[in-house]
Amino acid sequence: MKTSPQKEKSKIQIKDLFDRKVWYKLDLSAIVYPTLQRKDFSSVYRLSVLLKEPIKPDILQQAVNMALPRFPTYKTAIRKGLFWRYLEPNQRPGPFVQKDIRNFCMPMPFKANNRYLLRFYYYGCRISLEAHHSLGDGTGCMHVLNTITAVYLRLLGHEISDGYYVKDIEETPHPEELEDAYMRYANAKVSPKRPGEKTYRVRGTKEPFYTFNVINGILPVQDVLKAAASYHVSITEYLNAVLIYALMKKQESEWHFRLKPVKIAMPVNLRRFFPSKTLRNFITMVYPGIDPRLGEYTFEEIVTQVHHYMRYYINEKFLRGDITTNANTQRHPLIRIVPLFIKDFVVRQFYTKVQDRNSSAGLTNMGVLKVPDDMKPFIERFDIYMGQPFSSRTNCAIISYEDTMTINFASSIVESDVERYFFQKLVQDGIHVLIESNRTTS
Amino acid sequence: MSYCVNCGVELDASLESCPLCHTPVINLSDLQKFKKTTPYPTQTGQVDKVRRTDMAIIASIVLFATSLSCLLLNLLVFSANMWSLFVIGVCIILYVLMLPVIVYTKFPIYISLLFDGIAVGFFLYLITFNTPDKEWFTRLALPIVVLVTILVEIFALLLRSFRISFVTTALYFFIEIALLCVGLELLILHYHGEQLHLVWSAIVLTVCVVICTMLITLLCMRRLREAVRRRLHF
Repeated sequence: MKTSPQKEKSKIQIKDLFDRKVWYKLDLSAIVYPTLQRKDFSSVYRLSVLLKEPIKPDILQQAVNMALPRFPTYKTAIRKGLFWRYLEPNQRPGPFVQKDIRNFCMPMPFKANNRYLLRFYYYGCRISLEAHHSLGDGTGCMHVLNTITAVYLRLLGHEISDGYYVKDIEETPHPEELEDAYMRYANAKVSPKRPGEKTYRVRGTKEPFYTFNVINGILPVQDVLKAAASYHVSITEYLNAVLIYALMKKQESEWHFRLKPVKIAMPVNLRRFFPSKTLRNFITMVYPGIDPRLGEYTFEEIVTQVHHYMRYYINEKFLRGDITTNANTQRHPLIRIVPLFIKDFVVRQFYTKVQDRNSSAGLTNMGVLKVPDDMKPFIERFDIYMGQPFSSRTNCAIISYEDTMTINFASSIVESDVERYFFQKLVQDGIHVLIESNRTTS
Repeated sequence: MSYCVNCGVELDASLESCPLCHTPVINLSDLQKFKKTTPYPTQTGQVDKVRRTDMAIIASIVLFATSLSCLLLNLLVFSANMWSLFVIGVCIILYVLMLPVIVYTKFPIYISLLFDGIAVGFFLYLITFNTPDKEWFTRLALPIVVLVTILVEIFALLLRSFRISFVTTALYFFIEIALLCVGLELLILHYHGEQLHLVWSAIVLTVCVVICTMLITLLCMRRLREAVRRRLHF
């Protein structure tokens, strides 16, 4: 088969990106994740797509091999420098697709798996992609998964066009896709202070190493939309309020000396506010919550509180200030010359003592996922898992596709009270919930 | 199609109980057709093993080269006494300590601890080449190393065999401290050829007995244990 000169040129350029001289600085968010790496913890998340027919592993492997070079920052290995870590192109064989496992989102040692920070799994009709957060965020990784799925379907003989999250595997990556977009927009004249309030922590019985408990709720988007509309808020605001309500009920049911604020750590996709094509991390955290020390909150009051908080804080100005604060830390000349092992120690301490205690749970909503029209007939739904929580709590990740919304709770503790309160509230609000789980204990 | 009678959620056909509230699913009309295909696999994965071969090779070469060069330096240049044996002994201890971490990771912890004890004993034996007599080694150093190794092995066995909590760990620790101090004093007296009796270790023993009694009381009385846990939680 003859290739066009344009495509020939593109191929050469993609090959150049894997040159030994090429390397990538970790982006502003990605700096933190490797420092939290422990023997029993890695910042790994999972994206899954459920197709309508069983997966053929050999074809999937072929699709991975064809599509992954299109994403040079994902086909990389992480290395240590004297002052910072960095990503360098990985030319070793792999990553190889493998049969799925029950306890997914396992720790990802940097030197294992031929140094790849990606893992591909298949089970029944499901293709799953696990990625270390230092490579990119959910939006970036969703491009990788959708492109691989499209190539897989093409290899099966279907006509699939590019668009939305499906990239043309023959084209050269746009330089913006590889950039650290934080640095382009971290230019506010003032650095607002980081929030630093201790919040309620879910106390639970830790599962043995390594157990990953998943409870997955499947809901019709229309039902959720109707429930959110009844409170005059958006779906994200409504679901945040339900999670805060569940955590509040959990706190009230436990023995406590005094109540603590309940806050949710919610990543915001900055691409909505700052135009960038980056496939690397480009998120920042906001912390909607309530303070029960001020008085008892009804659910309606929680919804109102969350609604106003989000409308007030999630805008271009506040977010710019937030990323400037983070970027200024990294740009500080004194911090830059401190050796990596000291930085690791300080960042880990800060994260454990301050950052992790800022929130009671994590919630991310990727929103409605769109795929090219000719791909729609082959896809049942998408799933997203935030991965193992750093401390004993529960993480919630939400994604919608067509009229199916999936809410995935992931935790490493035995108790599932938060999940129970959460889904019971949704049922009370008239939403039909179908539950799937990998929990076996009863 | 089954619904949880408690939570009101629909449950996947593979679930035998509600994962939210653990209420069992009994769908009388559908018992025969009960679908068992789970949405999640049942196979459990293992974390990939990291190959530390490069680190092991570098560490082994560095330690071996240090020992050999010091030995040669000792024999050919600074040959007044056998000082290089100190360096060689330290290198051997470091190598043995590193063994379970970077060379062979499947050692049971008891074997690793035994090797550590042997390495320390061997280091002390090498020191005897620079001292006028070897009696201190056979009558004092070796018994102390054996005693400490046995106590550490027992400590590891207790922690790995029984339920661990902060209180039980403290209990084991204080019992072992008491035994160690008593053993040390008796061995020192034996080395000096004096009559065996307890002096300073009796004080440590008394303090440890008081602490251990308190800890055992805590462990036996659940109400007290919970009260202490509540007041001391951090």
